Amino acid sequence: MVRKGSLRIWQAIMIALLIGLAPSAASAKTAASASAYAVEANYLSKFAAFVEWPQSAFDSPTAPLTICVSGQDPFGQMLDEKVRGQHINDHPLIVHHGETVRSGMPCHILYVGGEASEEALQAIKHEPVLTVTDRGGAGTGGMIQFTTVGRRVRFTIDQAAAQEGGITISSKLLELAVNVSR
Amino acid sequence: MTDQPLGRRLMAALARTPGIGIGIASLLLVASLALAYHNEDLSRAEKVREVEVQARVLAASLAAPLAFDDDAAAREYIDALKASPDFDAVGVYEENGRLVAGFTRAGEPLPPTNVVSQPRVRGTEIIVTVPVEQSGTRLGSVYVGAAKESWSRRAARYLGIAIVVIMASLLVAVLGAFYASVSAANRRLQAEIAGREEAEEALRRAQKMEAMGQLTGGVAHDFNNLLMVASSGMELLERTTDPIRRDRLKDGIRQAIERGSKLTQQLLTFARRSPLSPEIIDVEARIRSLQDLFERSLREDIEVQFDFAEGLWPIAVDPSQLDVAILNIAINARDAMPHGGTIRISAQNYPGDKSTRDMVRITIRDAGNGIPPELLEKVFEPFFTTKAVGTGTGLGLSQVYGFVRSSGGEVRIESEVGKGTAVSLLFPRSSEPLSTETSSDTAFSRAEHDAMVLVAEDDEHVASLVGEMLRELGYKSKRAATAAEALRMIEESGPFDLALSDMIMPGKMNGLELAQEIVRREPDLPVVLMTGYSDAAVSATAQGFPLLVKPYTMETLGIIVGQALQSAPRQADQPNP
Repeated sequence: MVRKGSLRIWQAIMIALLIGLAPSAASAKTAASASAYAVEANYLSKFAAFVEWPQSAFDSPTAPLTICVSGQDPFGQMLDEKVRGQHINDHPLIVHHGETVRSGMPCHILYVGGEASEEALQAIKHEPVLTVTDRGGAGTGGMIQFTTVGRRVRFTIDQAAAQEGGITISSKLLELAVNVSR
Repeated sequence: MTDQPLGRRLMAALARTPGIGIGIASLLLVASLALAYHNEDLSRAEKVREVEVQARVLAASLAAPLAFDDDAAAREYIDALKASPDFDAVGVYEENGRLVAGFTRAGEPLPPTNVVSQPRVRGTEIIVTVPVEQSGTRLGSVYVGAAKESWSRRAARYLGIAIVVIMASLLVAVLGAFYASVSAANRRLQAEIAGREEAEEALRRAQKMEAMGQLTGGVAHDFNNLLMVASSGMELLERTTDPIRRDRLKDGIRQAIERGSKLTQQLLTFARRSPLSPEIIDVEARIRSLQDLFERSLREDIEVQFDFAEGLWPIAVDPSQLDVAILNIAINARDAMPHGGTIRISAQNYPGDKSTRDMVRITIRDAGNGIPPELLEKVFEPFFTTKAVGTGTGLGLSQVYGFVRSSGGEVRIESEVGKGTAVSLLFPRSSEPLSTETSSDTAFSRAEHDAMVLVAEDDEHVASLVGEMLRELGYKSKRAATAAEALRMIEESGPFDLALSDMIMPGKMNGLELAQEIVRREPDLPVVLMTGYSDAAVSATAQGFPLLVKPYTMETLGIIVGQALQSAPRQADQPNP
């Protein structure tokens, strides 16, 4: 109930942003970014449903599925609220903020905010961690990288990198990707 | 009834009432309707399942577009379904209930929010709602409204079979009714046939009675004439002493008696009760010996030709009856050729196959007037004649028919008006060899010994006459009135040299049985049977007893008795101890 309520609020905000705040260019940018991060938070919580990790990535069938946020954290409580009560199969979704990227970190999805450090990503290249990077990054992206098409948040997928980490991404998700590098 | 096959019993039931046919037809209709209803139910359930599967496929495809707000992708999927006329309405909803994309073809718009529930039927629509889930996470839902099969399509589907069922039912009903009416008609026809047969039988009886009347009338007339000759002859005989005149009168009386005897023979033959004395004869020799008779009976302008095949089989018939039969046919042939012509008498073997016996066929063919087809079947009837009154008795061909049938043969007649007639007599081949000529050549002479003859005869007049004749022939005789008395006399008043018995006698034992009993008791005592009228005569000859056919002459009596005595050991000379 709480989640539904928050969604409805969120919807209202979105509509307000799109219609009411559109004329102001300066505020529009921040508002657009804010709404884009909300969309990204939503997507982050949904990726897990379309991704398969090797069995070794979980201690037990009911072990939590952890979304880690490192680097610049644009979501804050937004993401926590999004995942609250959500389960992927029998794994409850949880969020860890402020993680440092390192080998063997207890994450299934790792969001790297801001400029992603290539070294950091290289370090966990062979680990079953779905790396997600923010849009606009000129350097190396994660397995999934947010991007903007028109005024909508979309994503590209680096399937080869995912395979290297032992992660399988559903074809359904691949279909929606703006670009897939295989 | 119970072991009749079901089909026939059913048909019999159908024949009784047309209602059964109609009942079966109705049953057929009801059964096919029930089947159609059941089919309809099944096909609806199947349709629901089909729509459900399609909705699930759609839901699976829509998982990612819903999760990542890709409305365009969702619309693409849904638009793909637009192409199918089966779908009336399709909608995809986000988890929060928002309608993402969808279309409706006609009728009600899509519901503003979607509640996932069991498939339901609303009017002509099947409505299926399924959740969109991915890895246990619910992402939204799908609403699909599909048209049930339209009435026209369903009708088209059922029309063909309905026509077949209705036609079959109609056919059964009509056939049942038709069969019932036909069998009713058949029953009426059977009843009519039975009635007609009865009427025909009555007619036949009436005809028989008429024939009897004719017969008795004719016989009485003929006999009256003969009796007239005999009685007046007797009267005149008593009044005259002139030996020449007396001889002439006696001749006249004898001829009258002979004619009477012949007449009764013919009647008996016609009645097929004439005792036959069958002998094994050579057909060719027998017919050739008739040459003199033909010459006397037929006119000078009639020529008789013979044509006998080689190696004719012997036959067993009464030779004198055969003579009479052939003569009768020849006389008819003669009368059919008033301007003269040729009668061809031929004989050939007529081998039988598996079902028929070997026969000898004697054919008498003339080139005369012929017999019209409508009369052909009447010619064997007694007293049927085409000849003028006083020239024919109508008994000739009846004698032929009676004789041939009594001899186990058959008569065939073929005739064509203006061309002539052919009468064929077929007699069964005899397996026995030809009998040697005995009767006619054996000299008749007065017996020298005084052989004792036992005469068993119930009729006193006949008995005394036979006694007289035997005495004239030089035999002694004693008379017994019954079979029992005869047996007693053999025991007490013997010995006898010969037993002469009538075949029909009062008491428990008839002549034939008496003869058998005598043979059993006294195997050496010869027995001669005599009869004028008996079916048993045939069995008498069959058992080998010599037979005297009444009326017989003293000459015949002498010959038969003499033969019987000769064939047996002389008991008088060597009496039993």
